[in-house]
Amino acid sequence: MESFRASLPETDISYSIMKIGLFVPCYVNACFPQVGVASYRLLKELGLDVDYPLGQTCCGQPMANGGFEKDALHLAEHMEKIFEGYDYVVGPSASCVVFVKEKYPRLLHKEAHACLSGRIYEICEFLHDVVKVKELPKAHFPHKVSIHNSCHGERLLGLSSPSELVVPRQSKLRDLLSLVDAVEIAEPKRVDECCGFGGLFSVEETATSACMGRDKIADHISTGTEYITGADSSCLMHMQGLIDREKLPIKTRHIVEILATGL
Amino acid sequence: MSSKDTILTALRASGVKPEPRPEMTFTPMMTDGDKTEAMKKAIEGAGGHWVELKEGESVDDVIARLFPDAKRIASNLKQVGCATYNPDTVDDPRTLNETDVAVVDGRFGVIENGSIWLPRATRHKALYFISEALVVILPKDRMVDTMHEAYKQPELADDFDFGCFIAGPSKTADIEQALVIGAHGARELTVLLV
Amino acid sequence: MSSHSKGAEKFLADKERTKWHDQALFFVREKRDRMAHGVPEWEALRQLASDTKLHTMTHLADYLEEFERNATANGLHVHWAKDADEMNSLVLSLLQERGAKTLVKSKSMLAEECGMNPYLMERGIDVIETDLGERIMQFLQKPPSHIVLPAIHVKREEVGKVFEEKLGSEHGNSDPTYLTHEARKALRQNFLHADASMTGVNFAVAKSGAFVVCTNEGNADMGTSFAPLHIAIMGLEKVIPDYEALAIYLRLLARSATGQPSTTYTSHYRRPINGQEIHVIIVDNGRSEILRNEAHRNMLKCLRCGACINTCPVYRRTGGYSYSYFIPGPIGVNLGMLRDVKRYSGNVSACSLCYSCQNVCPAKIDLADQIYDWRQRLDEHQVADRKKKVMVKAMKLAMKSPWIFRRALSAAQLIRVMPRWMIYNRLNAWGIDRELPTFAPKSFEQMWRSGEVK
Repeated sequence: MESFRASLPETDISYSIMKIGLFVPCYVNACFPQVGVASYRLLKELGLDVDYPLGQTCCGQPMANGGFEKDALHLAEHMEKIFEGYDYVVGPSASCVVFVKEKYPRLLHKEAHACLSGRIYEICEFLHDVVKVKELPKAHFPHKVSIHNSCHGERLLGLSSPSELVVPRQSKLRDLLSLVDAVEIAEPKRVDECCGFGGLFSVEETATSACMGRDKIADHISTGTEYITGADSSCLMHMQGLIDREKLPIKTRHIVEILATGL
Repeated sequence: MSSKDTILTALRASGVKPEPRPEMTFTPMMTDGDKTEAMKKAIEGAGGHWVELKEGESVDDVIARLFPDAKRIASNLKQVGCATYNPDTVDDPRTLNETDVAVVDGRFGVIENGSIWLPRATRHKALYFISEALVVILPKDRMVDTMHEAYKQPELADDFDFGCFIAGPSKTADIEQALVIGAHGARELTVLLV
Repeated sequence: MSSHSKGAEKFLADKERTKWHDQALFFVREKRDRMAHGVPEWEALRQLASDTKLHTMTHLADYLEEFERNATANGLHVHWAKDADEMNSLVLSLLQERGAKTLVKSKSMLAEECGMNPYLMERGIDVIETDLGERIMQFLQKPPSHIVLPAIHVKREEVGKVFEEKLGSEHGNSDPTYLTHEARKALRQNFLHADASMTGVNFAVAKSGAFVVCTNEGNADMGTSFAPLHIAIMGLEKVIPDYEALAIYLRLLARSATGQPSTTYTSHYRRPINGQEIHVIIVDNGRSEILRNEAHRNMLKCLRCGACINTCPVYRRTGGYSYSYFIPGPIGVNLGMLRDVKRYSGNVSACSLCYSCQNVCPAKIDLADQIYDWRQRLDEHQVADRKKKVMVKAMKLAMKSPWIFRRALSAAQLIRVMPRWMIYNRLNAWGIDRELPTFAPKSFEQMWRSGEVK
């Protein structure tokens, strides 16, 4: 633990008094609680003051992406209230985080800095950019993993650089995974092609969604890896559903579970 | 009210806030090293060929060497003695059909895409498109880096009626994305660097 | 089920073709990427393109008048058409007044938008498409499935078959080179003997009164080289200020469209030659209304390069005909909605919100954001999908209070013990192709409450 303290950046905020609210999105809460647990342990291990405020439900993204943004309003208000007293809000789901970040100010008629939007971070983004983690001594994962650059994580949140843009290459997920002992990192050939989840898209355009998912999994499999890993449980859930149905030789694992091994 | 007035009135009533013309804030790419060499690569990239006029060689020599079987060679250029006819003397552009080689003057080349500016300098503009092979004579000292520079060339300020940037031979990939040279224009484009 | 998802199912039924279609289009996307990465200032260039379009859009009337003034001084004839009907009848009377019966036409999405070909053909004009892809589609009597690559969904064997029938090409020969050259031979005669020619307009340059047409095949150039009449039709958003602006767009257009640094031919029509008449028709057909629509006016920045279509993972796997509007992909979803909300709302589902389209758009149009915005308005236009609405309302109810959410989670536990047939049926769209995620025995919240999270 001391080693992490040493790697913390010097900022105005004293890390010991910085209060972090753990945001566990609805489907992670229900289906992937282990991702929430890993997130908590990871933040705790870094010496941060993490709390999970009770009563969380959903950020409203599924409704909004499906075309019912106004149905997300009271969920936004609820989120806003729950996380009122925290300096930072950190969650293990890029697309939920970016929804809060980008849509709440308009939904709530507030300036970004005046609402949750200004304080919320996806956990990898938080570790990489705010905490600036330089080592994870306990993390050990002797497997080959293929990084899933989810669309919202990449193109909206900047977790990696989109292949379409002429910008310097970077990947926060790769940077973090490189801190894990014994892991071997790969990426699919179409490095940031959509897997076809897309919230309600997955049920409204189910044939297309499934085809995109199968193609994406095949691309991950062709890297010769055992695991698909990424910062969005929703994409992983969609792909896992297809993997299970077709009994494909690959598994999905949220990146925080890999970063939190040994804790 | 005429349609013109209806449309212009509707546009003016749109209530859009006028936005100023933006400035160019970057420096466009520049050729590293020899411009002629860069242009050669770009011509090849567009599917064209290039030939450099050697010491003591004439345009006629090159054309004879490249197109030994050509029967109809069209050009209105003085230096093309091998032309079998002057396309400017024909009244009907249709008679240009089945021309094997047309030789024309290019004004300047654009390195970023291998295109050459050809303002109409023959009686019928068809000549630039109808021959099986097109030979463009291009001065080596007239290469510009990008389209930004191209449009600043004096030739664009001239009072031309028709002008075309041509990059390589006519091509298409409309059948299964397979590249095929020779759709409707010249099947071959040779740039003669002088 | 949305109209797109129905159409998509049909296309996806042929797995081999879907795979081939996806790969052919992704190949174009990769060529585009290589081209973009060859221009270090690419992102700044896109920004400049977008901002210059914005400036132009907000001075559209002025630039159109300037274009008309200068074009007229150059000897071009300029006409204005409020809508498709007016454009079509203008074209027809220009042709009829000169006794023209055959029209060689290069590709124009505006003609497609206005239903011009059927209009003219019903009135005795022989319209001959001269772009190879368009010619193939005309022979097949089908609309283009892509705005730049009209026949991208057609296999070479199908082209061979229809060419054999229409052009008398060799039986069983489906070599693209052979077929292209057969089309060249046949269309050459059309070019030489047509009564009139038509082109679209890629750019109309206000300051010089010229317009620019870009092709790879040279079909527009051949078409306009012989007939005494050249009609050019343009959507009014095609006007740009000057050559300085033109340079920006020409650098982006072909790189974005087909992954070439430039099209083979970039032709500037400035004054008529040898007694030929050139008529330019400036068409509104709903564009002035788009300008008034603050949320969607960015669509007027579109260069019709098709890059957003090529990168769209949905389009690549569902083909052009799965969309009910004649333009597919992100650009088509949006333009369709601007054309007729009720008629084309079935395309709005054709987007996983991956945002790749916004990154490839040379004019930086917020295509995905606009689709998101349309979705929000489906309900108010009363065209929202009913099943989806029910689903969202149920979701909203479950999430409404933490207490109900907890109860819902407990109820969901039932799924663990329900028989498969109860879970996996047509009512569960998720379960058609995928297994449901397993609900954990205890949610994170329950674990936290019981002190299991440490």
